Amino acid sequence: MEAIRRFFARQKKENRFFDFTLLFVVVFLIAFGLIMIYSASSYNAGLDYGDPAYYMKRQAIAAALGFVAMIFISFIPTKFYAKFTPVYYIVAIVLLLLLLTPLSHDANGATRWIRLVGGFNLQPAEVAKLCMILFMADIICKMGKNLGNWRQFLIALFAFPLPVVLMILGISKNLSSAIIVFGIVYLMIFVACPDFKKVLTVTAIGAGAVALVIVILYFFGEGILENFSEMPGVYRIRRIVAWFDLEKYASDEGFQTLQSLYAIGSGGAFGKGLGKSMQKLKYIPEAQNDMIFSILCEELGLFGAFCVIILFVILIWRCMSIAHQTKDLYSALVVVGVMGHIAIQAFLNIAVVTNTIPNTGISLPFISYGGSSIAFLMVEIGLVLGVGRSIKLGDGRS
Amino acid sequence: MQERNKTRHHSRIFILFMSLLLVASVLICRIGYIMLIRGEYYSERAEQLHERERYIKAARGKIIDRNGAVIADNRAVCTISVIHSQIKEPEKVIEILSRELSLPEDKVRARVEKWSSIEKIKSNVEKEIGDRIRGYNLAGVKVDEDYKRYYPYNDIASKVLGFTGADNQGIIGLEVIYDEELQGTSGTILTLTDASGVEVENAAETRVEPVKGNDLQISIDMNIQEYATQLAEQAMANNEADRVSVIVMNPQNGEVYAMVDVPEFQLNSPYELNLAAYEEEPAGEDYQNALNAMWRNGCINDTYEPGSTFKIITTAAGLEEGIVTPGDSFHCPGYIMVEDRKIRCHKTVGHGSETFTQGIMNSCNPVFISVGLRLGVDRFVDYFQQFKLTEKTGIDLPGEAGTIMHRAENMGPVELATVSFGQSFQITPIQLITTVSMIINGGTRVTPHFGLRTLAEDGSVVKEFEYESVEGLVSEETSQTVRELLEKVVSEGTGRNGYVEGFAVGGKTATSQTLPRGSGKYIASFVGFAPAEDPQVIALVIIHNPKGVYYGGTIAAPVVRRLFENILPYLERMNYNEQRAE
Repeated sequence: MEAIRRFFARQKKENRFFDFTLLFVVVFLIAFGLIMIYSASSYNAGLDYGDPAYYMKRQAIAAALGFVAMIFISFIPTKFYAKFTPVYYIVAIVLLLLLLTPLSHDANGATRWIRLVGGFNLQPAEVAKLCMILFMADIICKMGKNLGNWRQFLIALFAFPLPVVLMILGISKNLSSAIIVFGIVYLMIFVACPDFKKVLTVTAIGAGAVALVIVILYFFGEGILENFSEMPGVYRIRRIVAWFDLEKYASDEGFQTLQSLYAIGSGGAFGKGLGKSMQKLKYIPEAQNDMIFSILCEELGLFGAFCVIILFVILIWRCMSIAHQTKDLYSALVVVGVMGHIAIQAFLNIAVVTNTIPNTGISLPFISYGGSSIAFLMVEIGLVLGVGRSIKLGDGRS
Repeated sequence: MQERNKTRHHSRIFILFMSLLLVASVLICRIGYIMLIRGEYYSERAEQLHERERYIKAARGKIIDRNGAVIADNRAVCTISVIHSQIKEPEKVIEILSRELSLPEDKVRARVEKWSSIEKIKSNVEKEIGDRIRGYNLAGVKVDEDYKRYYPYNDIASKVLGFTGADNQGIIGLEVIYDEELQGTSGTILTLTDASGVEVENAAETRVEPVKGNDLQISIDMNIQEYATQLAEQAMANNEADRVSVIVMNPQNGEVYAMVDVPEFQLNSPYELNLAAYEEEPAGEDYQNALNAMWRNGCINDTYEPGSTFKIITTAAGLEEGIVTPGDSFHCPGYIMVEDRKIRCHKTVGHGSETFTQGIMNSCNPVFISVGLRLGVDRFVDYFQQFKLTEKTGIDLPGEAGTIMHRAENMGPVELATVSFGQSFQITPIQLITTVSMIINGGTRVTPHFGLRTLAEDGSVVKEFEYESVEGLVSEETSQTVRELLEKVVSEGTGRNGYVEGFAVGGKTATSQTLPRGSGKYIASFVGFAPAEDPQVIALVIIHNPKGVYYGGTIAAPVVRRLFENILPYLERMNYNEQRAE
């Protein structure tokens, strides 16, 4: 806390605040991500496309576009966005519905992308996360004290996000994005709800429900799998059951996570050295995607992993600091939404690759390969930087 | 209100941040646990996954005969395979491989175009062709050198030597018994590969060189073995016999000079049946049974009723016990009554009055029945055991058959009578020759064997094999008496056809009807040794199911005579016993 206060004191010399720390952390994460993408994907990219830098180049283009958008957006006053609140919701819904049209693009058996010009694809779920942040920030502000009564509380927590969440789940079969969207809304309400008891009650019920499902699957999971093997979405149950005993499911649902553990376990304190991962040689399929953190662990060891987690913690801390200092609830909620998005996604990803939670496809923000993801994350950082700019020094708490 | 909102979300944001910090700490602990505590386990598993072990076959040791002639050798051959992902010019590869290996093009195409880490095209390719294919320098084509067992003598001593399987391991015969000595240690190349098995470039290879197996020197003399095989084949042809077995051994130490069991089989193509012998080609289980029958070594794997050759053993027991002397008188009316059974002599009119010496010369059954009855069941059984007839000889070949004998408590005088002249029980040929050796060599039971020593590549001795021998099982006097008696059998008795000019040969004939009696099938045999006063070589010839004349003295004894006529001067020259003593 002392450090924070000293930092703020230094900032007081100028009258406008720009969070260079946040900018630096984000740029560092992206640059580091590009290196890791090259390391993780060059072998397969060389074999498949004849260009070891194939994935890195595509990611760099998306990051560059995202960077321009980020800087541009950081100049726009945050209040401006509140004028288009219903638009965000409609955009999210329309983009998700576009997945049902021929504009969509399938990969790995899931419909998650919309074709754009120039061979690039857009993932509507990534847009939906941004849209939900902007939409809910305004809704929660407008609800104000009313958020304190059960009816309004439940509408805010469930009724608004549910259509989007269900569409992500139903159309693009993307459980992790659905969880993230819901998680963002939950964290925003967590911060804003006047009656904290309600938040805690819902949290307790949710945690209890998750625990109950896990206990049931722990004891009856294998039986369920045997009797309902034809049920749609049964693979999700398999993933949870595989989570209990990875080696038993080493050839199917446990395969990816087990390979990830092999990679992490091979890393040791300082890793094998950049580029020296063995697991990226097709042992972990598409190592540049969701499992990139395990390659990072294998090559850079516990030290590398610790540094990356610390970078995310600094990023979250900067968001917290900005949300803290802004006098405007709407801006604060936008920042909390972005912070929630990045925190949930980063920590869930790391939890998945370390088999702390069952496997669900989730990418590591700024580092995993994925153009839509990085571009829209940078737009979100642009929003946070914009909020930061609005802080008049000496105007905050003193 | 604004102010209250603000403080509220301030504290909430702080709670949120602290919770996230907690999550981050948990994850760091989790990663630390996986990396530092479970790291060894996971990295070991990962390494197992990444490493591919390629074996380098060790050259199998040679088998050489007692004079150094190579009887089992290795020939360098090549295995040609393709690695799909490394092939750059598939059409050229298909064209060259199908031409060089004379394989149909579509067959090669199927293998080349199959997506697999490594696909074998052909193994056991001549080294010359392998070198030529290597010369084309085709990407993705692998030429691995390999060894294939090769037997220069082909079918000679096939049932003794045995052969090896695809992994260089012995399947039957000496190749099995001395597998460990011959095998050597295979080398390995450890390489790192990606998940599809493609080797990672520039990764360090760990290479462990293979160690060649030791050579095995055996007691067989290929000259004797070849000649014995020739004689056996002639005897089989002349007598239209089913099978002819010949064992030639040194009775003093058990070294086998030759072991023949015709028909033999082709060692270089052990899985090809001699189809001429079958009306239709056997299939499935029948095929395997036919192969097993073809590989079977009748000298040790099968038992037979020894017949009159066994009278040597009855004689030794009688002499040893002192219940008979060569001069004892007997009378043979052509039969003998044992209890209520009339057992006939082969000479139906009878031999009349005769001494024991004449009895053995005539191979007179009543004489030996009388000796057997004088011994009685208990003493006979004791001698049977003392002579180790109930134990296996311990020869260094797999699958030696045991003796099939009456249980002492089930033996009455009739059984005793039949056993006395070699019927109603079964032993292996190797058992008979080993026991006769013991009786004529002064009472030492030797272990018949082939393996003499293992040699390193430079010819130095690695290991000299030792074999058990038990002395004093019969007295020297008995041994000498039996030798003299058996010499008389050859010089004046039923074994006259075994007589060799210039050598004192001892021996005994046998003719026994096979079970069931009355089938008209006989086994004719002769066991002979020389020189009679100090036996240096003993030979047993067994002719199974001859047509026409079936008397051992008529058809088996001449085989031994012809064998001895050739090998006795040869053995004198080679002087193997002297050699060993040096």
